[in-house]
Amino acid sequence: MFKLRSLFFSSLMFILIFSATSTFGKSIPSVIKIGTLYASTGPFAKASESQFKGLKFWVHNVNSKGGVFVKAFKKKIPIKLVAYNDQSSTATAAAMYNQLITQDHANILVADFGSVLTSVAVPLAKEHRRLLFDVTGTGAKFFTPDNPYVVLTSLPTSGRWPYTLADFIIKHKINKIAIIYSSNDFDQSQAITLHNKLRKAGVDIVYYNAVPSSTSNYAVLLHSIKAKNPNAVIEFGYPNNDIAFLQNLGSSGLKFNMVFTVFPGQLFKLLKSNVGEQGLAYTYTYPTPPLLRYNKVNLGVGIDEFELAFKAYSGKSPNFLNVAGYNVGLIIKKTLETANRYNQLSFRRAIGKFSGKVFTLNGLFMVNKKGAQIGEILPIAQFVMKDSKLKMNIVYPEKMKTADAVYPAP
Amino acid sequence: MFEYTVLAGIMYGLYFGLVGIGLNLIFGVMRMINLAHGDFIMLGAFLAYWLFHLFGINPLIAIAISCVVFLFLGIAFYYIFVPRLLQSKDPEMLSFILFFGLSQVIEAIIILSFGNNQRSVPSSTFGHSTFSILGNRFPISWLIVTIVAILVFIAVYWYFYHTKLGYATRAIMASRDESLVSGINVNRVSAFAFSIGLILASIAGIFSFFMIGAAYPSMGTNLTVISFAIIVLGALGNPMGTIIGGLIYGLAIMFMQTYLSSWSNLLPYLLLIAIMLFKPEGLIGKTVRSA
Repeated sequence: MFKLRSLFFSSLMFILIFSATSTFGKSIPSVIKIGTLYASTGPFAKASESQFKGLKFWVHNVNSKGGVFVKAFKKKIPIKLVAYNDQSSTATAAAMYNQLITQDHANILVADFGSVLTSVAVPLAKEHRRLLFDVTGTGAKFFTPDNPYVVLTSLPTSGRWPYTLADFIIKHKINKIAIIYSSNDFDQSQAITLHNKLRKAGVDIVYYNAVPSSTSNYAVLLHSIKAKNPNAVIEFGYPNNDIAFLQNLGSSGLKFNMVFTVFPGQLFKLLKSNVGEQGLAYTYTYPTPPLLRYNKVNLGVGIDEFELAFKAYSGKSPNFLNVAGYNVGLIIKKTLETANRYNQLSFRRAIGKFSGKVFTLNGLFMVNKKGAQIGEILPIAQFVMKDSKLKMNIVYPEKMKTADAVYPAP
Repeated sequence: MFEYTVLAGIMYGLYFGLVGIGLNLIFGVMRMINLAHGDFIMLGAFLAYWLFHLFGINPLIAIAISCVVFLFLGIAFYYIFVPRLLQSKDPEMLSFILFFGLSQVIEAIIILSFGNNQRSVPSSTFGHSTFSILGNRFPISWLIVTIVAILVFIAVYWYFYHTKLGYATRAIMASRDESLVSGINVNRVSAFAFSIGLILASIAGIFSFFMIGAAYPSMGTNLTVISFAIIVLGALGNPMGTIIGGLIYGLAIMFMQTYLSSWSNLLPYLLLIAIMLFKPEGLIGKTVRSA
């Protein structure tokens, strides 16, 4: 009996000691290393630097308050940001992500902007069992049931983006559609979703073609589209594509009842400065913060407060990608505050716990089991001219609508 | 649509002839590939952008300003880099490295100075109207770019065949050593030709907004590759051959966009491979280059 009791207490002590050392036995790090990449040159430079600036702003804010609270260590720890320049090259990005993981031993890995530069991070993160905080890499192929090491934070997975657009087209009985898209994961998954949804609803897709992401002249393509006589032209591209498309449309003298492009809602100032107000008038887009004003939040600050603070920090008004970069910081903070243990799978489990309960300046944060963001809604907005000034109206869905769509465009 | 594609291809091709001709001139005179060629196009675009937005200067007037700016820039670059390069054992190979470095430096300076944003001169600069050829409507800016390109080609032709400096340039293109022996001031003529090459690149940059969209600091690399494909297609070392190369490129890309759009970015490389396999001297070249 005595032996049995002694064995029981010995086992209990062993379990207690083992469980304690599994968290506390590790030395508490002096800093939390966040590893990320940015592009100072190349086609993604503008977007990437904006996103990086948003993340840096979050790090600056957190460190000014003594760091982030890490539940596993029950203390605040400052953040150290380790960042390399991938020059918009996937080859360089792959090498740099590898360096962040194997040489710098970054505790948290944050992807560079967009699907192209994130595509090389996803398999590396999976191979090294490092949770990748994917900010804006929305390619649907990144999220698979067998990979718990990726979480999309600041945009819905691109396959979901056109849900509201498809509903808008179907509801307004726009029955002849042209879709032109750049051949990359981000745009292709949007095109496929829209194509399938519209086909299912009996909408006639009269033009459906891909162009290289490097396309900078759409003049002939626009005439090919016009020859099919569609009611609406949907162009899925990166900022350079949207700029060239809208510029060529403006100078071509061609008119369509509805024109949709992706980036005016994300990089409004950039598009306006390149295309002009007339070039954007009566076109449609997905509006994102700061065009969408989310102030009732339960994590971080609302968009009004963020705008003021960011302007004071950087001297410039924020764009969407600044918001996206800041937002990933908020999700990282919440993850560290929630995770019971300081390891990658605990981080992922923590995200599962608060998914669907967190509302930030970027909208509802909710991920599915594959790590894909499904909480945010991308409504449909239209730019209109009012008193000779460009104004943005949200025209769909009904619950977010601020004005009716002007269709057909004048 | 076929008719529209042909006409658009010709106009687009003439513009790309303008994009490539400076690179070919520099190669013809110095037997060096200026890998920073696209970056000089970018500099021309940025010059036009700032002149337009700061002083309201029309891109057509910007041509005159760019001629002055790039003339001095070209002479300075020439005397800093080229004579030293020519003294080396393998100036062609070293020029690759040097101009690649120069390309990176130019891009970095522009990024540090102006940031990464795309910038445009509005397409409405020449008015909102369109013009019609055989019932096909094109932006008025395309007509202006086409006229400028043709005038530039005429000017280059006139320079080569009707000026003393042009004769000297052609002599250097034929044989640098013999030109030196016959008393031509090779360095001075080459410096001038190098400047003309940069001026031509800058003019292509000034009109880039209307043909290839917004300008941004890293646009140069892609333009250098396209320019290289175009000059190889026409004839390496023969500036006037660039017009043929540009036309073929313009027509081919417009046909690809119309009938096989998703493959159109392969075009420069396919043309390059095809010409290397079947006519390495270029379409209007006479012999295989031996330099």
